[in-house]
Amino acid sequence: MLQISALHSHYGLSHVIQGIDIEAAPGEVIGIFGRNGVGKTTLLKTIAGWVKPSQGAIRLGGEALDGLTPDRICHAGVGFVPEDRRIFPGLTVEENLSLGLLQVKGRSSRDEKRVVEGIYDRFHRLGERRHQLGTTLSGGEQQMLAMARVMVGKPRLVLIDEPSEGLAPMIVAEIFAIVRELREQGAIILLVEQNIHEALSVADRFHVVERGQIVFSGEAENAGDRERLLKLIAV
Amino acid sequence: MTAIDYLQFVLAPQVVNGLALGVAVVLVALGLTIIFGMLDVINMSHGEFYAIGAYAALALAAAGVGFWFLLVLVPVLMIPLGMAAERLLIRPVFGSKDRHVTTLLVTFGLGLIVEDVLKIIFGANTQRPPTPIPGASEMFGIILPNYRLFLILVGAAIVLGVAYVVYRTRLGAMVRAAAFDRNMAASLGVPVSLVYAGTFAFGVGLAGLAGVLLAPIYSVFPTMGRDFILLAFTVVIVGGMGSIWGAVVAGLLLTQVQALASLVISPVWTDPIVFGTMVAFLVFRPQGLFGRLGHA
Repeated sequence: MLQISALHSHYGLSHVIQGIDIEAAPGEVIGIFGRNGVGKTTLLKTIAGWVKPSQGAIRLGGEALDGLTPDRICHAGVGFVPEDRRIFPGLTVEENLSLGLLQVKGRSSRDEKRVVEGIYDRFHRLGERRHQLGTTLSGGEQQMLAMARVMVGKPRLVLIDEPSEGLAPMIVAEIFAIVRELREQGAIILLVEQNIHEALSVADRFHVVERGQIVFSGEAENAGDRERLLKLIAV
Repeated sequence: MTAIDYLQFVLAPQVVNGLALGVAVVLVALGLTIIFGMLDVINMSHGEFYAIGAYAALALAAAGVGFWFLLVLVPVLMIPLGMAAERLLIRPVFGSKDRHVTTLLVTFGLGLIVEDVLKIIFGANTQRPPTPIPGASEMFGIILPNYRLFLILVGAAIVLGVAYVVYRTRLGAMVRAAAFDRNMAASLGVPVSLVYAGTFAFGVGLAGLAGVLLAPIYSVFPTMGRDFILLAFTVVIVGGMGSIWGAVVAGLLLTQVQALASLVISPVWTDPIVFGTMVAFLVFRPQGLFGRLGHA
Protein backbone atom coordinates (compact mmCIF):
# COMPACT_ATOMS: atom_id res chain seq x y z
CA MET A 1 0.00 0.00 0.00
CA LEU A 2 1.28 3.46 -0.91
CA GLN A 3 0.27 6.31 1.38
CA ILE A 4 1.31 9.86 0.61
CA SER A 5 -0.06 12.42 3.01
CA ALA A 6 0.18 16.22 3.17
CA LEU A 7 3.30 16.18 1.00
CA HIS A 8 5.08 19.48 0.38
CA SER A 9 8.32 20.14 -1.45
CA HIS A 10 10.27 23.16 -2.67
CA TYR A 11 12.68 24.00 -5.45
CA GLY A 12 14.70 26.71 -3.76
CA LEU A 13 12.13 29.33 -2.75
CA SER A 14 9.48 27.95 -5.08
CA HIS A 15 6.82 25.95 -3.21
CA VAL A 16 6.08 23.33 -5.88
CA ILE A 17 4.18 20.56 -4.10
CA GLN A 18 1.62 22.04 -1.75
CA GLY A 19 -0.01 19.31 0.26
CA ILE A 20 -0.66 16.23 -1.87
CA ASP A 21 -2.42 13.10 -0.57
CA ILE A 22 -2.44 9.88 -2.61
CA GLU A 23 -3.26 6.32 -1.65
CA ALA A 24 -2.83 3.29 -3.90
CA ALA A 25 -3.08 -0.47 -3.51
CA PRO A 26 -0.83 -3.10 -5.15
CA GLY A 27 -1.74 -3.62 -8.81
CA GLU A 28 -3.27 -0.15 -9.18
CA VAL A 29 -2.27 2.32 -11.87
CA ILE A 30 -2.78 5.93 -10.84
CA GLY A 31 -2.67 8.59 -13.54
CA ILE A 32 -1.28 11.99 -12.56
CA PHE A 33 -2.46 14.63 -15.01
CA GLY A 34 -2.18 18.36 -15.34
CA ARG A 35 -0.71 21.12 -17.45
CA ASN A 36 3.02 21.66 -17.78
CA GLY A 37 4.75 23.09 -14.75
CA VAL A 38 2.09 22.21 -12.16
CA GLY A 39 4.37 19.92 -10.19
CA LYS A 40 3.73 16.41 -11.61
CA THR A 41 7.40 15.64 -12.28
CA THR A 42 8.42 17.20 -8.96
CA LEU A 43 5.91 14.94 -7.22
CA LEU A 44 7.60 11.85 -8.69
CA LYS A 45 11.06 13.24 -7.94
CA THR A 46 10.02 13.90 -4.35
CA ILE A 47 8.82 10.32 -3.95
CA ALA A 48 12.04 9.02 -5.54
CA GLY A 49 14.16 11.14 -3.18
CA TRP A 50 15.61 13.46 -5.84
CA VAL A 51 13.84 16.38 -4.16
CA LYS A 52 13.64 16.38 -0.37
CA PRO A 53 10.09 16.76 0.95
CA SER A 54 9.76 19.79 3.18
CA GLN A 55 6.73 18.36 4.95
CA GLY A 56 4.45 15.33 4.88
CA ALA A 57 4.86 11.57 4.78
CA ILE A 58 5.45 8.90 2.13
CA ARG A 59 4.94 5.30 3.22
CA LEU A 60 5.19 2.14 1.14
CA GLY A 61 3.95 -1.04 2.79
CA GLY A 62 4.16 0.75 6.12
CA GLU A 63 7.81 1.78 5.62
CA ALA A 64 8.55 5.50 5.75
CA LEU A 65 10.36 6.75 2.64
CA ASP A 66 10.35 10.49 3.19
CA GLY A 67 13.80 11.89 3.87
CA LEU A 68 15.62 8.75 2.69
CA THR A 69 18.33 8.95 0.01
CA PRO A 70 17.36 7.78 -3.51
CA ASP A 71 19.38 4.54 -3.19
CA ARG A 72 17.60 3.61 0.04
CA ILE A 73 14.24 4.47 -1.49
CA CYS A 74 15.16 2.23 -4.42
CA HIS A 75 16.04 -0.63 -2.07
CA ALA A 76 12.68 -0.12 -0.35
CA GLY A 77 11.10 -1.16 -3.67
CA VAL A 78 10.65 2.05 -5.66
CA GLY A 79 11.58 2.11 -9.35
CA PHE A 80 11.79 5.39 -11.27
CA VAL A 81 11.56 5.85 -15.03
CA PRO A 82 12.19 9.60 -15.44
CA GLU A 83 10.93 11.80 -18.23
CA ASP A 84 14.09 11.93 -20.31
CA ARG A 85 14.93 8.22 -19.70
CA ARG A 86 18.38 9.10 -18.33
CA ILE A 87 20.20 6.27 -20.11
CA PHE A 88 23.86 6.48 -19.09
CA PRO A 89 26.14 7.49 -21.96
CA GLY A 90 29.21 5.30 -22.24
CA LEU A 91 27.35 2.30 -20.80
CA THR A 92 26.11 -0.56 -22.95
CA VAL A 93 22.56 -1.86 -22.86
CA GLU A 94 23.79 -4.77 -20.73
CA GLU A 95 25.62 -2.46 -18.31
CA ASN A 96 22.52 -0.28 -17.96
CA LEU A 97 20.50 -3.41 -17.14
CA SER A 98 23.16 -4.70 -14.75
CA LEU A 99 22.79 -1.51 -12.72
CA GLY A 100 19.06 -2.19 -12.49
CA LEU A 101 19.92 -5.49 -10.81
CA LEU A 102 21.38 -3.54 -7.87
CA GLN A 103 17.82 -2.76 -6.78
CA VAL A 104 17.57 -6.24 -5.29
CA LYS A 105 20.23 -7.21 -2.78
CA GLY A 106 21.52 -10.76 -2.33
CA ARG A 107 20.64 -12.22 -5.74
CA SER A 108 23.02 -14.90 -6.98
CA SER A 109 24.81 -14.23 -10.27
CA ARG A 110 22.88 -17.18 -11.78
CA ASP A 111 19.59 -15.54 -10.78
CA GLU A 112 20.75 -12.23 -12.17
CA LYS A 113 21.67 -13.84 -15.46
CA ARG A 114 18.27 -15.53 -15.62
CA VAL A 115 16.48 -12.22 -14.98
CA VAL A 116 18.48 -10.42 -17.68
CA GLU A 117 17.89 -13.25 -20.18
CA GLY A 118 14.17 -12.96 -19.35
CA ILE A 119 14.35 -9.28 -20.27
CA TYR A 120 16.08 -10.12 -23.56
CA ASP A 121 13.37 -12.69 -24.31
CA ARG A 122 10.73 -10.07 -23.62
CA PHE A 123 12.52 -7.26 -25.48
CA HIS A 124 14.27 -8.89 -28.43
CA ARG A 125 15.66 -5.61 -29.68
CA LEU A 126 17.48 -5.02 -26.40
CA GLY A 127 18.88 -8.53 -26.62
CA GLU A 128 20.13 -7.92 -30.15
CA ARG A 129 21.76 -4.65 -29.04
CA ARG A 130 23.05 -5.78 -25.65
CA HIS A 131 26.65 -4.76 -26.40
CA GLN A 132 25.68 -1.47 -28.01
CA LEU A 133 25.89 1.81 -26.08
CA GLY A 134 22.49 2.59 -24.59
CA THR A 135 22.46 6.10 -25.99
CA THR A 136 22.81 4.82 -29.57
CA LEU A 137 19.37 3.16 -29.38
CA SER A 138 16.30 4.77 -30.92
CA GLY A 139 14.01 6.79 -28.65
CA GLY A 140 11.55 3.89 -28.33
CA GLU A 141 14.30 1.40 -27.56
CA GLN A 142 15.76 3.75 -24.96
CA GLN A 143 12.35 4.00 -23.31
CA MET A 144 12.14 0.19 -23.28
CA LEU A 145 15.61 0.02 -21.75
CA ALA A 146 14.68 2.58 -19.11
CA MET A 147 11.62 0.51 -18.20
CA ALA A 148 13.45 -2.82 -18.40
CA ARG A 149 16.18 -1.40 -16.15
CA VAL A 150 13.52 -0.85 -13.50
CA MET A 151 11.66 -4.12 -14.19
CA VAL A 152 14.71 -6.27 -13.36
CA GLY A 153 14.46 -4.93 -9.80
CA LYS A 154 10.84 -6.13 -9.37
CA PRO A 155 9.81 -2.88 -7.63
CA ARG A 156 6.63 -2.56 -5.55
CA LEU A 157 6.09 1.01 -6.70
CA VAL A 158 6.97 2.27 -10.17
CA LEU A 159 7.08 5.99 -10.96
CA ILE A 160 6.82 6.63 -14.69
CA ASP A 161 7.16 10.13 -16.12
CA GLU A 162 5.95 10.87 -19.66
CA PRO A 163 6.83 7.48 -21.17
CA SER A 164 5.26 8.22 -24.56
CA GLU A 165 6.90 11.58 -25.12
CA GLY A 166 8.30 11.85 -28.63
CA LEU A 167 7.55 8.24 -29.58
CA ALA A 168 5.72 6.81 -32.60
CA PRO A 169 2.18 5.44 -31.91
CA MET A 170 3.26 1.81 -32.39
CA ILE A 171 6.01 2.19 -29.84
CA VAL A 172 3.64 3.98 -27.47
CA ALA A 173 1.31 0.95 -27.58
CA GLU A 174 4.25 -1.28 -26.68
CA ILE A 175 5.27 0.97 -23.80
CA PHE A 176 1.76 0.87 -22.35
CA ALA A 177 1.73 -2.92 -22.73
CA ILE A 178 4.76 -2.91 -20.41
CA VAL A 179 2.86 -0.75 -17.93
CA ARG A 180 0.06 -3.36 -17.96
CA GLU A 181 2.60 -6.12 -17.34
CA LEU A 182 4.01 -4.26 -14.36
CA ARG A 183 0.49 -3.87 -13.00
CA GLU A 184 -0.20 -7.59 -13.46
CA GLN A 185 2.95 -8.30 -11.46
CA GLY A 186 1.32 -6.42 -8.58
CA ALA A 187 3.27 -3.19 -8.72
CA ILE A 188 1.66 0.14 -7.85
CA ILE A 189 2.20 2.55 -10.73
CA LEU A 190 2.12 6.32 -10.62
CA LEU A 191 1.96 7.43 -14.23
CA VAL A 192 2.51 11.02 -15.32
CA GLU A 193 1.44 11.30 -18.95
CA GLN A 194 0.33 13.99 -21.40
CA ASN A 195 -1.25 11.40 -23.69
CA ILE A 196 -4.44 11.28 -21.63
CA HIS A 197 -6.38 8.84 -23.81
CA GLU A 198 -3.62 6.26 -23.77
CA ALA A 199 -3.03 6.78 -20.05
CA LEU A 200 -6.72 6.33 -19.24
CA SER A 201 -6.69 3.01 -21.09
CA VAL A 202 -4.30 1.64 -18.50
CA ALA A 203 -5.12 3.68 -15.36
CA ASP A 204 -7.58 2.64 -12.64
CA ARG A 205 -7.83 6.06 -11.05
CA PHE A 206 -6.38 9.49 -11.69
CA HIS A 207 -5.64 12.79 -10.01
CA VAL A 208 -5.48 16.20 -11.63
CA VAL A 209 -2.78 18.50 -10.28
CA GLU A 210 -2.82 22.28 -10.43
CA ARG A 211 -0.28 24.54 -8.75
CA GLY A 212 1.05 21.68 -6.66
CA GLN A 213 -2.31 20.52 -5.34
CA ILE A 214 -4.77 17.81 -6.38
CA VAL A 215 -7.86 19.62 -7.64
CA PHE A 216 -9.82 16.62 -8.88
CA SER A 217 -9.69 12.84 -8.49
CA GLY A 218 -11.66 10.33 -10.49
CA GLU A 219 -12.10 6.78 -11.77
CA ALA A 220 -10.68 6.02 -15.22
CA GLU A 221 -13.78 3.98 -16.13
CA ASN A 222 -16.25 6.64 -15.04
CA ALA A 223 -17.47 8.62 -18.04
CA GLY A 224 -18.38 11.65 -15.92
CA ASP A 225 -14.97 11.76 -14.30
CA ARG A 226 -13.29 11.47 -17.68
CA GLU A 227 -15.36 14.32 -19.06
CA ARG A 228 -14.46 16.51 -16.08
CA LEU A 229 -10.80 15.59 -16.50
CA LEU A 230 -10.80 16.61 -20.15
CA LYS A 231 -12.45 19.91 -19.29
CA LEU A 232 -9.96 20.61 -16.52
CA ILE A 233 -6.91 20.07 -18.65
CA ALA A 234 -8.59 21.35 -21.83
CA VAL A 235 -7.41 18.61 -24.19
CA MET B 1 78.65 10.32 -34.81
CA THR B 2 76.91 8.10 -37.34
CA ALA B 3 73.15 7.92 -37.64
CA ILE B 4 73.16 4.45 -36.03
CA ASP B 5 75.25 5.72 -33.11
CA TYR B 6 72.90 8.68 -32.66
CA LEU B 7 69.92 6.32 -32.64
CA GLN B 8 71.59 3.89 -30.25
CA PHE B 9 73.26 6.24 -27.79
CA VAL B 10 71.17 9.40 -27.92
CA LEU B 11 67.69 8.93 -29.33
CA ALA B 12 66.71 5.50 -27.97
CA PRO B 13 67.83 6.13 -24.35
CA GLN B 14 66.02 9.48 -24.47
CA VAL B 15 62.84 7.77 -25.71
CA VAL B 16 63.06 5.20 -22.90
CA ASN B 17 63.71 7.93 -20.32
CA GLY B 18 60.74 9.84 -21.70
CA LEU B 19 58.67 6.66 -21.52
CA ALA B 20 59.63 6.07 -17.88
CA LEU B 21 58.79 9.69 -17.03
CA GLY B 22 55.55 9.30 -19.02
CA VAL B 23 54.55 6.24 -17.03
CA ALA B 24 55.39 8.09 -13.80
CA VAL B 25 53.26 11.06 -14.80
CA VAL B 26 50.41 8.79 -15.92
CA LEU B 27 50.50 7.02 -12.54
CA VAL B 28 50.13 10.34 -10.74
CA ALA B 29 47.58 11.67 -13.25
CA LEU B 30 45.46 8.50 -13.12
CA GLY B 31 44.14 9.13 -9.61
CA LEU B 32 43.75 12.81 -10.37
CA THR B 33 41.68 12.22 -13.49
CA ILE B 34 39.48 9.56 -11.86
CA ILE B 35 38.71 11.88 -8.95
CA PHE B 36 37.96 14.71 -11.36
CA GLY B 37 35.83 12.59 -13.68
CA MET B 38 33.86 11.08 -10.85
CA LEU B 39 33.48 13.88 -8.34
CA ASP B 40 34.14 16.99 -10.42
CA VAL B 41 36.73 17.81 -7.78
CA ILE B 42 40.08 19.29 -8.77
CA ASN B 43 42.19 17.71 -6.05
CA MET B 44 45.00 20.18 -5.46
CA SER B 45 46.38 17.99 -2.68
CA HIS B 46 46.94 15.03 -5.00
CA GLY B 47 50.66 15.76 -5.24
CA GLU B 48 50.93 15.75 -1.47
CA PHE B 49 49.19 12.36 -1.28
CA TYR B 50 51.85 11.18 -3.72
CA ALA B 51 54.49 12.60 -1.34
CA ILE B 52 52.83 10.89 1.65
CA GLY B 53 53.06 7.59 -0.24
CA ALA B 54 56.77 8.13 -0.87
CA TYR B 55 57.48 9.10 2.75
CA ALA B 56 55.40 6.19 4.06
CA ALA B 57 57.47 3.87 1.88
CA LEU B 58 60.66 5.46 3.19
CA ALA B 59 59.60 5.11 6.84
CA LEU B 60 58.31 1.56 6.45
CA ALA B 61 61.42 0.52 4.53
CA ALA B 62 63.53 1.90 7.40
CA ALA B 63 61.44 -0.28 9.74
CA GLY B 64 62.41 -3.31 7.66
CA VAL B 65 59.42 -3.70 5.33
CA GLY B 66 60.51 -4.97 1.92
CA PHE B 67 59.87 -3.05 -1.33
CA TRP B 68 57.51 -5.66 -2.80
CA PHE B 69 55.32 -5.63 0.29
CA LEU B 70 55.34 -1.81 0.25
CA LEU B 71 53.75 -1.84 -3.19
CA VAL B 72 50.66 -3.36 -1.58
CA LEU B 73 50.86 -1.97 1.95
CA VAL B 74 51.23 1.74 1.18
CA PRO B 75 48.21 2.04 -1.18
CA VAL B 76 46.14 0.06 1.34
CA LEU B 77 47.20 2.45 4.13
CA MET B 78 46.40 5.44 1.92
CA ILE B 79 42.80 4.33 1.38
CA PRO B 80 41.51 5.19 4.91
CA LEU B 81 43.36 8.50 4.59
CA GLY B 82 41.53 9.20 1.34
CA MET B 83 38.22 8.12 2.87
CA ALA B 84 38.78 10.48 5.81
CA ALA B 85 39.74 13.38 3.52
CA GLU B 86 36.61 12.85 1.41
CA ARG B 87 34.35 12.50 4.45
CA LEU B 88 35.76 15.43 6.46
CA LEU B 89 36.79 17.92 3.77
CA ILE B 90 35.08 17.21 0.45
CA ARG B 91 31.64 15.97 1.44
CA PRO B 92 30.75 18.90 3.74
CA VAL B 93 31.25 21.38 0.87
CA PHE B 94 30.18 19.08 -1.96
CA GLY B 95 26.60 20.35 -2.02
CA SER B 96 27.55 24.03 -2.06
CA LYS B 97 26.88 26.17 -5.12
CA ASP B 98 30.55 27.10 -5.48
CA ARG B 99 31.65 23.50 -5.13
CA HIS B 100 34.41 23.67 -7.75
CA VAL B 101 36.11 26.67 -6.21
CA THR B 102 35.51 25.54 -2.63
CA THR B 103 36.88 22.03 -3.11
CA LEU B 104 39.84 23.42 -5.08
CA LEU B 105 40.69 25.81 -2.23
CA VAL B 106 40.07 23.19 0.48
CA THR B 107 42.36 20.66 -1.19
CA PHE B 108 44.94 23.38 -1.91
CA GLY B 109 44.95 24.23 1.81
CA LEU B 110 45.20 20.55 2.70
CA GLY B 111 48.20 20.21 0.38
CA LEU B 112 50.01 23.10 2.07
CA ILE B 113 49.33 21.62 5.52
CA VAL B 114 50.57 18.17 4.43
CA GLU B 115 53.72 19.68 2.95
CA ASP B 116 54.54 21.45 6.23
CA VAL B 117 53.72 18.39 8.33
CA LEU B 118 56.08 16.31 6.16
CA LYS B 119 58.79 18.96 6.68
CA ILE B 120 58.24 18.87 10.47
CA ILE B 121 58.32 15.07 10.67
CA PHE B 122 60.97 14.17 8.10
CA GLY B 123 62.93 17.41 7.68
CA ALA B 124 63.41 19.44 4.50
CA ASN B 125 66.33 17.44 3.13
CA THR B 126 66.05 15.26 0.06
CA GLN B 127 66.23 11.53 0.68
CA ARG B 128 66.78 8.86 -1.90
CA PRO B 129 65.77 5.29 -1.21
CA PRO B 130 67.98 2.63 -2.78
CA THR B 131 66.89 1.30 -6.16
CA PRO B 132 64.98 -1.92 -5.50
CA ILE B 133 66.10 -3.43 -8.81
CA PRO B 134 69.65 -2.26 -9.45
CA GLY B 135 71.64 -2.70 -12.60
CA ALA B 136 70.93 -2.29 -16.28
CA SER B 137 70.07 -4.50 -19.21
CA GLU B 138 71.16 -4.31 -22.79
CA MET B 139 68.46 -4.48 -25.42
CA PHE B 140 69.32 -4.03 -29.12
CA GLY B 141 72.63 -2.53 -28.04
CA ILE B 142 70.93 0.05 -25.81
CA ILE B 143 71.72 0.10 -22.09
CA LEU B 144 68.51 0.49 -20.09
CA PRO B 145 68.24 0.78 -16.27
CA ASN B 146 66.36 -2.25 -14.91
CA TYR B 147 64.22 -0.26 -12.51
CA ARG B 148 62.98 2.04 -15.27
CA LEU B 149 62.04 -1.00 -17.37
CA PHE B 150 60.26 -2.42 -14.33
CA LEU B 151 58.44 0.89 -13.83
CA ILE B 152 57.26 0.91 -17.44
CA LEU B 153 55.92 -2.66 -17.14
CA VAL B 154 54.29 -2.13 -13.74
CA GLY B 155 52.84 1.21 -14.85
CA ALA B 156 51.31 -0.44 -17.92
CA ALA B 157 49.89 -3.24 -15.73
CA ILE B 158 48.37 -0.71 -13.30
CA VAL B 159 46.78 1.32 -16.09
CA LEU B 160 45.34 -1.82 -17.70
CA GLY B 161 44.09 -3.05 -14.30
CA VAL B 162 42.39 0.26 -13.51
CA ALA B 163 40.91 0.47 -17.02
CA TYR B 164 39.62 -3.10 -16.67
CA VAL B 165 37.89 -2.28 -13.37
CA VAL B 166 36.43 0.99 -14.64
CA TYR B 167 35.33 -0.19 -18.10
CA ARG B 168 34.68 -3.93 -17.72
CA THR B 169 33.17 -4.56 -14.29
CA ARG B 170 29.86 -3.73 -12.67
CA LEU B 171 31.74 -1.71 -10.07
CA GLY B 172 33.18 0.35 -12.91
CA ALA B 173 29.72 0.71 -14.45
CA MET B 174 28.49 2.00 -11.08
CA VAL B 175 31.33 4.53 -10.98
CA ARG B 176 30.70 5.70 -14.54
CA ALA B 177 26.94 5.87 -14.02
CA ALA B 178 27.33 7.88 -10.81
CA ALA B 179 29.83 10.16 -12.55
CA PHE B 180 27.34 10.96 -15.27
CA ASP B 181 24.04 11.07 -13.37
CA ARG B 182 24.19 10.87 -9.60
CA ASN B 183 20.41 10.83 -9.07
CA MET B 184 19.59 8.21 -11.68
CA ALA B 185 22.38 5.95 -10.48
CA ALA B 186 21.11 6.25 -6.90
CA SER B 187 17.56 5.47 -8.04
CA LEU B 188 18.87 2.18 -9.43
CA GLY B 189 20.40 1.31 -6.07
CA VAL B 190 23.97 2.56 -6.56
CA PRO B 191 25.22 3.72 -3.11
CA VAL B 192 26.47 6.98 -4.57
CA SER B 193 28.01 8.46 -1.39
CA LEU B 194 30.00 5.27 -0.83
CA VAL B 195 31.04 5.14 -4.48
CA TYR B 196 32.23 8.77 -4.29
CA ALA B 197 34.21 8.17 -1.10
CA GLY B 198 35.61 4.92 -2.50
CA THR B 199 36.63 6.61 -5.74
CA PHE B 200 38.39 9.45 -3.92
CA ALA B 201 40.16 6.95 -1.68
CA PHE B 202 41.10 4.83 -4.70
CA GLY B 203 42.61 7.88 -6.38
CA VAL B 204 44.55 8.67 -3.22
CA GLY B 205 45.71 5.04 -3.04
CA LEU B 206 46.98 5.31 -6.62
CA ALA B 207 48.87 8.50 -5.70
CA GLY B 208 50.43 6.61 -2.78
CA LEU B 209 51.42 3.74 -5.06
CA ALA B 210 52.99 6.21 -7.47
CA GLY B 211 54.94 7.62 -4.51
CA VAL B 212 56.35 4.17 -3.68
CA LEU B 213 57.27 3.45 -7.29
CA LEU B 214 58.79 6.80 -8.16
CA ALA B 215 60.71 7.53 -4.96
CA PRO B 216 63.80 5.52 -6.03
CA ILE B 217 64.04 7.55 -9.26
CA TYR B 218 62.92 11.05 -8.35
CA SER B 219 63.92 11.13 -4.63
CA VAL B 220 61.78 12.11 -1.67
CA PHE B 221 61.38 15.66 -0.33
CA PRO B 222 58.43 17.55 1.16
CA THR B 223 57.61 19.56 -1.99
CA MET B 224 58.04 16.61 -4.37
CA GLY B 225 54.31 16.63 -5.13
CA ARG B 226 54.48 20.07 -6.75
CA ASP B 227 56.89 19.00 -9.48
CA PHE B 228 54.74 16.16 -10.69
CA ILE B 229 51.36 17.65 -10.07
CA LEU B 230 51.86 20.45 -12.60
CA LEU B 231 52.71 17.94 -15.31
CA ALA B 232 49.92 15.62 -14.13
CA PHE B 233 47.36 18.46 -14.35
CA THR B 234 48.58 19.21 -17.87
CA VAL B 235 48.14 15.56 -18.79
CA VAL B 236 44.62 15.48 -17.33
CA ILE B 237 43.61 18.65 -19.20
CA VAL B 238 45.13 17.61 -22.54
CA GLY B 239 43.83 14.03 -22.26
CA GLY B 240 40.32 15.10 -21.31
CA MET B 241 39.42 15.72 -17.69
CA GLY B 242 38.25 12.40 -16.30
CA SER B 243 39.40 10.20 -19.18
CA ILE B 244 41.70 7.30 -18.28
CA TRP B 245 42.85 6.66 -21.85
CA GLY B 246 43.21 10.40 -22.34
CA ALA B 247 45.62 10.54 -19.38
CA VAL B 248 47.62 7.65 -20.82
CA VAL B 249 47.89 9.08 -24.34
CA ALA B 250 48.54 12.65 -23.19
CA GLY B 251 51.02 11.52 -20.52
CA LEU B 252 53.09 9.49 -22.95
CA LEU B 253 52.90 12.06 -25.76
CA LEU B 254 53.77 15.10 -23.67
CA THR B 255 56.70 13.46 -21.94
CA GLN B 256 58.05 12.25 -25.29
CA VAL B 257 57.72 15.78 -26.63
CA GLN B 258 59.62 16.99 -23.56
CA ALA B 259 62.31 14.33 -23.92
CA LEU B 260 62.83 14.67 -27.67
CA ALA B 261 62.53 18.45 -27.79
CA SER B 262 65.40 18.72 -25.35
CA LEU B 263 67.63 17.07 -27.99
CA VAL B 264 67.11 19.86 -30.50
CA ILE B 265 66.34 22.93 -28.40
CA SER B 266 67.49 24.20 -25.05
CA PRO B 267 65.84 22.15 -22.23
CA VAL B 268 64.58 25.39 -20.67
CA TRP B 269 62.06 25.56 -23.54
CA THR B 270 60.51 22.15 -22.92
CA ASP B 271 58.32 23.30 -20.03
CA PRO B 272 56.89 26.28 -21.95
CA ILE B 273 56.09 23.90 -24.84
CA VAL B 274 54.26 21.45 -22.55
CA PHE B 275 52.36 24.07 -20.57
CA GLY B 276 51.68 26.03 -23.75
CA THR B 277 50.01 22.89 -25.11
CA MET B 278 47.82 22.82 -22.00
CA VAL B 279 46.79 26.46 -22.48
CA ALA B 280 46.08 25.83 -26.16
CA PHE B 281 43.86 22.87 -25.27
CA LEU B 282 41.98 24.89 -22.64
CA VAL B 283 41.28 27.62 -25.19
CA PHE B 284 40.65 25.62 -28.37
CA ARG B 285 39.63 22.13 -27.20
CA PRO B 286 38.63 22.32 -23.53
CA GLN B 287 37.23 18.78 -23.57
CA GLY B 288 40.75 17.48 -24.30
CA LEU B 289 41.69 14.62 -26.61
CA PHE B 290 39.09 12.26 -25.14
CA GLY B 291 35.82 12.88 -23.36
CA ARG B 292 35.04 12.50 -19.68
CA LEU B 293 34.61 9.52 -17.44
CA GLY B 294 31.02 8.39 -17.75
CA HIS B 295 30.61 10.17 -21.07
CA ALA B 296 32.70 7.85 -23.20
